[in-house]
Amino acid sequence: MSDEPATAAETGEETPADVPGVFTLYGNELKTLIATAIVLALFPFVFARMPVVSDVLQGYQSLTTLILIWGIFALGFDLLLGYTGLLSFGHAAFWGSAAYGAGVFSQHVTGSPVLMVVAGTLVAVLLAWVLGFLSLRRGGIYFAILTLAFAQMLFYMASSPLAFITDGENGFTGVETAELFGMIPLEEDLPSILGELLGTTLYAFVAVLTLLCIALAYRILQSPYGMVFRAIRENEQRAKFVGLNVWRYKLMSFVLSGLFAGIAGSLFTIHGSYVPLSSLYWTESGEVVIMTVLGGTGSLFGPIIGAGLYLYVENIVSGFDTVGPFWHLILGLVFVITIWTFPRGIWGFFQDVRDYITGGDDQ
Amino acid sequence: MTLLKTDGLVKKFGGLVATDDVNLSVEENERVSIIGPNGAGKSTLVNLITRRLDPTEGDIQFKGESIVGRDPHEVVQMGISKSFQTASIFSELTVRENAEIAALAAENGSFGFKFLQHRESLTGVHDRATDTLDAVGLLGQADRTAADLPYGDKRRLEIGIALAAEPDLLLMDEPTAGMSPEETESTVDLIEEVKRELGLTFVLIEHDMEIVFRISDRIVVLNRGQIIAEGTPDEIRGDDEVQEAYLGGVDL
Amino acid sequence: MSFHIEVITILLNGLQQGAIYVLLAVGLSIILGTLKFVNFAHGALYLIGTYAGLLLALDVNLTSGLLAEWGYGQLGLGLGYIPALFLVPVVVFVVGLAMERLVVEPFKNRPDTDQILVTFGLAIIVQELFRAMFGSGSLPFSQPTWAQGAPSVPFLSAIPISQWRYYVIGITAVLVLIVYLLVEYTDFGLVVRAGTRDPEMVELLGIRLSRPYLLVFGIGAALAGVAGVVGGPLNPVNPTIGNEILVPAFLTVVIGGVGSIAGAVLGGTLFGITQAILVSTYSAWAQVGLYAIAAIVLLLRPQGLLGEEEVAP
Repeated sequence: MSDEPATAAETGEETPADVPGVFTLYGNELKTLIATAIVLALFPFVFARMPVVSDVLQGYQSLTTLILIWGIFALGFDLLLGYTGLLSFGHAAFWGSAAYGAGVFSQHVTGSPVLMVVAGTLVAVLLAWVLGFLSLRRGGIYFAILTLAFAQMLFYMASSPLAFITDGENGFTGVETAELFGMIPLEEDLPSILGELLGTTLYAFVAVLTLLCIALAYRILQSPYGMVFRAIRENEQRAKFVGLNVWRYKLMSFVLSGLFAGIAGSLFTIHGSYVPLSSLYWTESGEVVIMTVLGGTGSLFGPIIGAGLYLYVENIVSGFDTVGPFWHLILGLVFVITIWTFPRGIWGFFQDVRDYITGGDDQ
Repeated sequence: MTLLKTDGLVKKFGGLVATDDVNLSVEENERVSIIGPNGAGKSTLVNLITRRLDPTEGDIQFKGESIVGRDPHEVVQMGISKSFQTASIFSELTVRENAEIAALAAENGSFGFKFLQHRESLTGVHDRATDTLDAVGLLGQADRTAADLPYGDKRRLEIGIALAAEPDLLLMDEPTAGMSPEETESTVDLIEEVKRELGLTFVLIEHDMEIVFRISDRIVVLNRGQIIAEGTPDEIRGDDEVQEAYLGGVDL
Repeated sequence: MSFHIEVITILLNGLQQGAIYVLLAVGLSIILGTLKFVNFAHGALYLIGTYAGLLLALDVNLTSGLLAEWGYGQLGLGLGYIPALFLVPVVVFVVGLAMERLVVEPFKNRPDTDQILVTFGLAIIVQELFRAMFGSGSLPFSQPTWAQGAPSVPFLSAIPISQWRYYVIGITAVLVLIVYLLVEYTDFGLVVRAGTRDPEMVELLGIRLSRPYLLVFGIGAALAGVAGVVGGPLNPVNPTIGNEILVPAFLTVVIGGVGSIAGAVLGGTLFGITQAILVSTYSAWAQVGLYAIAAIVLLLRPQGLLGEEEVAP
């Protein structure tokens, strides 16, 4: 039996070109995107170059790029964890496979950054489809364990049987990223004011993709999917009994989060020009879990803030003489305290503070 | 025309026979109530029809087609809706979103790829949700979080979610359970209104005999998983076996 | 080495590796089955077991970590292996009790995902605490001299497997049998099994499940501790061993069937032997093979080999 009912034909099947509501911006979308673009444009300057502030923070340019990359990863992960309520411990599979995919593609086909992202993302999405299909056979706690297991399987595949492609334990070193659009070197600083603000072309490239990803995620949340995902998290059984194919929506949630992980993983390869084997290891999945929860599940920007905080502690606080060696322990403690006392994370905390001040009327 | 038909339906839980050779048929536009003492197998029967449970033996046909082996959402898409015994709603979503979820399933089917379309562009879903909320009298509270509604309103929302699908057959599992007398009264009014305006076929499971006799065309009495009597309210009222086995001789 | 000796060696090695998985999986499985609690910190209990065993049995010379910096570089009670074998389960049992009361109990009514997240965080904290205290490097934890080398028994003496590995298999068999008898044939076991099926009903009968649950968690923890102390001398000892063994332990549970002790034994043995066979034949595929088996089992039999069908709500 077909899942599409007769009513779909009555409302008219639109051709992709004139699907209403895809390219029109609604409500707060434009405002949110402009605000995001401004923040993305100022971030590297404030963090890495602004007098006083950047000295206090000890920030540097390449970390800003890395924060955005992990931010995309965490943002997609939140679609699954925060909105649909599914906890995956296997997202390293999509991050890592995209990273390898982009790397191998650059070596054998072309080093065009845009095409590398397309290739890596494609690998991740296809993989997410397969692993989602297998892992979603069982709900609840099994899902976490199954995703973990399949991702580990992939890690061990890359570590030896597929070592002829991946270079095994050493990680993949053959990344050959070319210039953007065939003419702009990624690592060079942008001219004049752009250089001062954004720094490198690489950052600009990643920032544009970040903005697109945020727009995409925002739209997904405002589409029927966002509502259905939350409905599934709230009351899966009722969602089935209003006539929704919950299983397929869950699979889509999984695949979409895999898409974001894929974009992020590909960018990670471009950023580092190297794919470590550990990018497939399950602790990598754990990292994105921590980032998302710390920043705040069920919000658009929380996970990105979580990614920033995590990477800041990992890369900068870890260099402090006093607490540096214990950075991972500190993150673990903060993580547990967050779940214990503030399950909605940093973003949720800010929201509550704002609601407290304003009386909490607006959404 | 026969809308729903069960054929020798049996459900066993281990050694316990919860549904024992039930042959039930519901005609179009008919209002059927299923009554019976606790543990008579009423809920099991509903769960079998909505495909929450697999029958041990027998067949269930809807519009002449067997639905055994279908998923619950497919059965809903075919036209069987269910309102739950407890207010099974999406608590953290707004009242409007609750209705929109159901309207979405009705308008766009069990699944679609519209993740790039803004919800506001789906006018059909929006209108249907509005109509539904209007019908159950919750339009004024559309923007409230469902969890904040008083219990009676939650139950009305629950019925609204079931109605939004514009089902051919509505199964209601004790729609007034746990309600205050006033809430019960307004819910019964709602059901009668739905009955009048939409001409809906429904199967009602209910403890409150007053409601059952007021709104049913036909009553089916279950005891220990078997149908022990069925007939019009008047026939059931006068049936000695029902009086004995189930009502314990209480005068109706 | 003749072919049949080689085969027996492989099988015994597999059985021994499987025994470690079994010890961990039995605990995880009964906790998951009765308390419905996913314990991502189960590997941390293994880690604690290993370090406790090391410090009880031997004298250790720490070269890095805070303890060394603070002047406790020379650490350990040096009681020997046998006292350690008896003390470690007690220590980890107590740790388990504390964990149940402090972490599991407060999260009883939180969503599954929160339970996983908090125990995952706990696992990180434990790992990093040990790293901070004892350093990241591997510590020497050798097999006791009296258990090195093949046993001087006819036939077995020809097989190049240390006595220690036989003891691991033996200890596992005895402990699992004890737990099995405890669950199947005692009043405690009856309450636990009833609680697994229908906790609400058991509480209605006036039996409080809080204490049996506590005990179940403690027992599960103690088994993980034993796994740590018997497995310690067979592998490098460092702070990451706990989280590394967690994944195969979980798989063993899922393969065997949640809540089934026999399933955990079957799953663990299957895993151990498959791994040993692959290591000695197609070593590149050794790890992948485990996951492939797991995937196949779960596709064909989602409830696990000896698990019961999920009961309809």
